[in-house]
Amino acid sequence: MKKIMLAAVAALALGGSAMAQESIRIATEGAYAPWNFLDDSGKPAGFEIDLGNAICEKAGLTCEWLINDWDSIIPNLLAGNYDLIMAGMSITDERLETIDFTQNYFPPDPSKFVATAGTEIDFAALSGKRVGVQGGTIQAAYAEENFASGNTVVTFATADQAMADLAAGNLDTILADGAYLEPVVAASGGAIAFVGEDVLIGNGVGGGLRKEDTELKAKLDETLTALKADGTVDELIAKWFEGRGPYFAE
Amino acid sequence: MQAFLNDLALMSQAVLFNIYFAAASIPIGFVLAVFLALGKASPNPIINRLTRGYIYAFRGSPLFIQFFMFYSLALSLNIAVWKPLGISGFVLHPLFMGPLVLVLNTAAYTGEIFYGALRAVPRGEVEAARAYGMSRSQQFRRVIWPNLIRLAWPAYTNEVVFLFHATAIVYFALPVVGAQADLMITAKTLFERDYNAFLHFSVAALYFLAVSLVVFFLFGLVYQRLMRHLPAPPRMRYRPKWMR
Amino acid sequence: MTDDIAYWFSYLTNGKHLTWYASFQFTIFAALMGGALAVVFGLLGATLKNSRFLPLRLIGTFYSSIVRGVPDVLFFLFFPLAFEQGVEWLVASQICTPEAIAAQTAAWPPCKEANWFLGTTEYLLLASVSLGLVYGAFATNVIHGALRSVPNGQLEAARAFGMSPGQVLWRIQIRQMWVYALPGLSNVWMLIVKATSLLSLLQIADIVLWADRLGAPNFLPAVGLVHEDWRWRYYLVLFVFYILVTWLSERAFEAIMRRAGKGILSEARV
Repeated sequence: MKKIMLAAVAALALGGSAMAQESIRIATEGAYAPWNFLDDSGKPAGFEIDLGNAICEKAGLTCEWLINDWDSIIPNLLAGNYDLIMAGMSITDERLETIDFTQNYFPPDPSKFVATAGTEIDFAALSGKRVGVQGGTIQAAYAEENFASGNTVVTFATADQAMADLAAGNLDTILADGAYLEPVVAASGGAIAFVGEDVLIGNGVGGGLRKEDTELKAKLDETLTALKADGTVDELIAKWFEGRGPYFAE
Repeated sequence: MQAFLNDLALMSQAVLFNIYFAAASIPIGFVLAVFLALGKASPNPIINRLTRGYIYAFRGSPLFIQFFMFYSLALSLNIAVWKPLGISGFVLHPLFMGPLVLVLNTAAYTGEIFYGALRAVPRGEVEAARAYGMSRSQQFRRVIWPNLIRLAWPAYTNEVVFLFHATAIVYFALPVVGAQADLMITAKTLFERDYNAFLHFSVAALYFLAVSLVVFFLFGLVYQRLMRHLPAPPRMRYRPKWMR
Repeated sequence: MTDDIAYWFSYLTNGKHLTWYASFQFTIFAALMGGALAVVFGLLGATLKNSRFLPLRLIGTFYSSIVRGVPDVLFFLFFPLAFEQGVEWLVASQICTPEAIAAQTAAWPPCKEANWFLGTTEYLLLASVSLGLVYGAFATNVIHGALRSVPNGQLEAARAFGMSPGQVLWRIQIRQMWVYALPGLSNVWMLIVKATSLLSLLQIADIVLWADRLGAPNFLPAVGLVHEDWRWRYYLVLFVFYILVTWLSERAFEAIMRRAGKGILSEARV
């Protein structure tokens, strides 16, 4: 009986991985517009969803999108809950120790500070300030390294929560991706403005995958190269990020 | 074994946050609960309805939701209220918001326990006190309160242990300031590093269990002192979370 | 005026909100399933605790006191993770080849083939089971006490009829126990209902997650309706929802207790 049970479980697992040859699961955060968000129908949408679907179409894969909290998005990739992360994740040396990345589909982009309009912040002698970041991001690591002494670094589960605290005056400034902040600043009608100097961290945004999935990585890289060459990636960047690009045109 | 000891050392810092959250909210919750219990027993219809409603609402909804709700509520009042008063950073700090919500929550549960005990105070003793010509405050201090606290103590002990357990969700709901991390966050972070669920969560569980036992021991001592007039003081049993 | 109403109505009927309403199914499922399993584990635990065989009795006592000595959140997170790892370990011991294990770079699972995909359905089931296990420990105590409350005369009469110990337990003790157990079980049910708010910790897109996402401030029309931070309003809705569920459960348990109390000695009715 025990043998049969085990065989059944094994068959299930094998069936799962055999299916994974044609279909992949992609995780996104769904709270980082315009990279990825949940649209009015409650489905994932945004630049990375369009791009992911384009990759899957080109590579002949079936794609399924999952929503996963940012703070556990890498652990759950490693635990095998999905095969690919497309969640505005920057390629960094620290992350490369645990996971692998496809080639970037968004070039290295400076991170920016924002504050409510009219706030002057002296970044040269920053002290006693409350700096908001999303936990587990490159900006969080940067803030921890540069502002931890003398300032308070407040970590949030999503970037939107940090924006809420900034708008409510609980933070002096937020450090986040420029491509995330630009539409927010533009749409805020002057309520939120860029401050200070940009900082360049990270090596662009790519798709995160497990190190042992070398076949998948090769396939995705090949597809991305093709999509960059035929202009699809630039087209999507222009569609979702106003005034950005083209980055990958020959 | 080495990994186990490492975890023990790492979490000895983290458990302080849980102890802080519990220790900061228990005394205030206790005082508030006495007023809630008296309010629920009050003949005044307004006070009675209000306290009843309060106790019902806070016992009838999850603490997790209460955390989220009160944090975002406090946040939306920030510009209008806290900023002008200059206490913005203080009010929205998890080390303040955490205990605040825990106080509101535990006061409701403890208030219900005290209310039950209040109703169980022997009528004859209160009548005898009145016959002696004691004033209302004398009746409360000399007769009702000593009876109430003895009746309520075992259930209150369980509530305190439960409150300590409830501190596990504070940092799941509130933003994290600096490198502060309680037992659950530490266990989760360690788990996400090497996937050893059995080790890290067991160590966190051990800490929770150990502190619970200490609480039971200390509160048991108090109980024996409360019951010292009896020939054989009743012993309290380890029954965490029994009938909340 | 009518335009205003239409605007607000459309606001509450867009797809995102419909998904939120639909996600209540997860909460309700977890509560019902968790409740049913808690009774099952409670019966099992109480039977173990009543067993005449010492090791079984110890297991029952250990289960009911250890699980209650640890925060429910901790067990709630631990159990699904541990169960997943346990299954993967079992599968790995059957199908992983040494080469596959050597090729594995991540800390877990042992080899890629042994990996078990967990989706919302699996997590929901595991969440229900862990709710059942945690609150089954409480139900164990309730049922254990209730089994002892069944009047001794009833059991003696059953034995006099020549029933075996098993028959006495199943036909008399457990059948009559419910009326004594119901007040305690209603308490356990309330705890389970409140614990369903933790589902989002297991990556289930439940009512709490959607309340956070819908209430978060939004500046971009493409994403949805533009508004400031409205989270507390959404949480207030959930706050009221849970209070309503508590109220409804109380009424339901009162009705059940009235029905169950029929034909039982009057002191059973509290």
